[in-house]
Amino acid sequence: MNNDIIINIEDVAKTYQMGAETVHALRSVSLQIRKNEYIAIMGPSGSGKSTMMNIVGCLDTPTKGTYLFENENVATMNDNELADIRNRKIGFVFQTFNLLARASTLKNVELPLVYAGVKKDERQQRAFAALESVGLQDRTHHKPNELSGGQRQRVAIARALVTKPSIILADEPTGNLDSKTGVEIMRLFGELWKNGNTVILVTHEEDIARHAHRIVRIRDGMIESDTINPSPAEV
Amino acid sequence: MMGISEYFESARIAYQAIIANKTRAFLTSLGIVIGIFFVIMMGWFLDGLDNAFDKTINAIGTDMLYVDKWSWGGSDDWRSVQKRKPISYQQALEASKKMTTAELVAPHASKWGGKITYQGNTLGSVSIVGVTAPFVNTPIGNLKEGRFFSETEDVHSVEVVILGYKVANAFFPDRSPLGEIMRINGRKFLVIGVVNKRGTIITDFIDNQVFIPIQTFMGMFGTARRGVQIAVKAGSQELLDEVREETRVIARQVRNLQPGEEDDFTINESQMFRDEISTLRLYVWGIGIGLTGLSFFVGIIGIMNIMFVSVTERTKEIGIRKALGAKNRSIMWQFLVESSTLCLFGAFIGFLLCATVIFAITSAFPDVDFLTPYVPLHLLFIASIVSIIVGIFAGLIPAYRASRLDPVEALRYE
Repeated sequence: MNNDIIINIEDVAKTYQMGAETVHALRSVSLQIRKNEYIAIMGPSGSGKSTMMNIVGCLDTPTKGTYLFENENVATMNDNELADIRNRKIGFVFQTFNLLARASTLKNVELPLVYAGVKKDERQQRAFAALESVGLQDRTHHKPNELSGGQRQRVAIARALVTKPSIILADEPTGNLDSKTGVEIMRLFGELWKNGNTVILVTHEEDIARHAHRIVRIRDGMIESDTINPSPAEV
Repeated sequence: MMGISEYFESARIAYQAIIANKTRAFLTSLGIVIGIFFVIMMGWFLDGLDNAFDKTINAIGTDMLYVDKWSWGGSDDWRSVQKRKPISYQQALEASKKMTTAELVAPHASKWGGKITYQGNTLGSVSIVGVTAPFVNTPIGNLKEGRFFSETEDVHSVEVVILGYKVANAFFPDRSPLGEIMRINGRKFLVIGVVNKRGTIITDFIDNQVFIPIQTFMGMFGTARRGVQIAVKAGSQELLDEVREETRVIARQVRNLQPGEEDDFTINESQMFRDEISTLRLYVWGIGIGLTGLSFFVGIIGIMNIMFVSVTERTKEIGIRKALGAKNRSIMWQFLVESSTLCLFGAFIGFLLCATVIFAITSAFPDVDFLTPYVPLHLLFIASIVSIIVGIFAGLIPAYRASRLDPVEALRYE
């Protein structure tokens, strides 16, 4: 087994029961992602892209197939084991930022460390360092509603980074931003990748996906194509 | 194990949630406020009652027996008690001579509704008690000032009086009554002593009496139909059983009872007040527990309801926390801490309310000695524990529901 492989998905399917009807969100998907890849998962709405993201992000488990995350079988894990994997190994960045409105920037970034049981002093130090790395060291005591959209997303990225996760999973990270701010955020992802992080973008926008080095297209619950991007966009 | 950091995180969230919705938090915890109020008021009242009870026992004496026609307890059949012949002075004297185990035997007789006059002022409904000289050694005869009369003075029916605390206070609030001449039912008496305050809410009458030599008493009021009581001091509580037994045997002898006949007297003792007190306690408990239970019931429903609202309002937040690695029990814990913090907050308000009411009551009725202006702090401790438990109980179902939310669904919630 190649130790470089972080994510190893083998013949994974996911079905939902919608009343009397069975919905095949994913039919059969196999995918391997290596350390320090920069990959985009693309697809129109209804393609199974979101289901794919939920499974890759360990928010959900497949109905069928195996999913090894750094050689641990995630497919058969219970709620708490999944929570632990998400906490330690996955950094989420969402389209709607998903910050806690009542908490300060610093508290928001500290949150994953709270669940990891990190002591307060270390927690604050690490959260501050993460905010520094996204250029928000002078916004630590602001509430999310006192920040611009781009700043909020950078807080979310700091929160994703703070646990030093194995992958950063970003779901339409620029979907709620104007294009200029979107470019800034994409530049940040580029830097993260250069610093050795593994970045997974989930998007339906070609403009965003072209930053990635590998593009996986999903349609009707299957992988339609899995190609190397010969000339990733630089910003 | 739950990390300590997670605990503080939960407490912080709970605190913020309450601060963010002050009015809502207050209204929600009103049931708990009222519940805690009843519990503490009840505890306070019972504490006061217990104190009064202890004082009463001490006043009457824990090693004292009082042989009387009448029963204090009310456990004997009232009709048959009423038919008993009074204990005569001769019988009392005979019994006193025969007793060997008791430290002290003191016959005494009472006249209710006596009238005391001093310089034109009259105090009615005072009990006039005729006693023998050794009565000074009973708890009730305990002197505050002056002296008791001697046996010689008793034999010669001298007109001297020892005042009860209340009587002395009524006529001489700011000076000593010693050496004054007062009229008792028209007859002049020299005040030679004052006894200590002994009365409590239950035995208020003790302070409202005066003591004169029993010979003088019988000269004034006669003996024929008048009952005499015999105070018997055992000397210590250990001796009480032995002395009670001898008292009973001798009382039966002097009353000429045949074997098999029922006692026609009662040996009263301080323990008999326990019956009365325990009944009263039971009532207070019953009412208190009933009201408390009802308020807590309403409180629990209120808190449960608001917790369901809180869980729904924060579905998205729960999704975010779960995505960031919160385990089910962390989410559950968060909401349990919130609901018990809410209850604890109610408990503190209830406690403040109690403290206010207690001080208001005690300053409004300063004379009622068992209403003491003290706030039972141990009850605050109990109230806090109870409210935390109530909070956990009320939050259990909403918290469980929150903890089981699917992170994918919760994140999608808007």
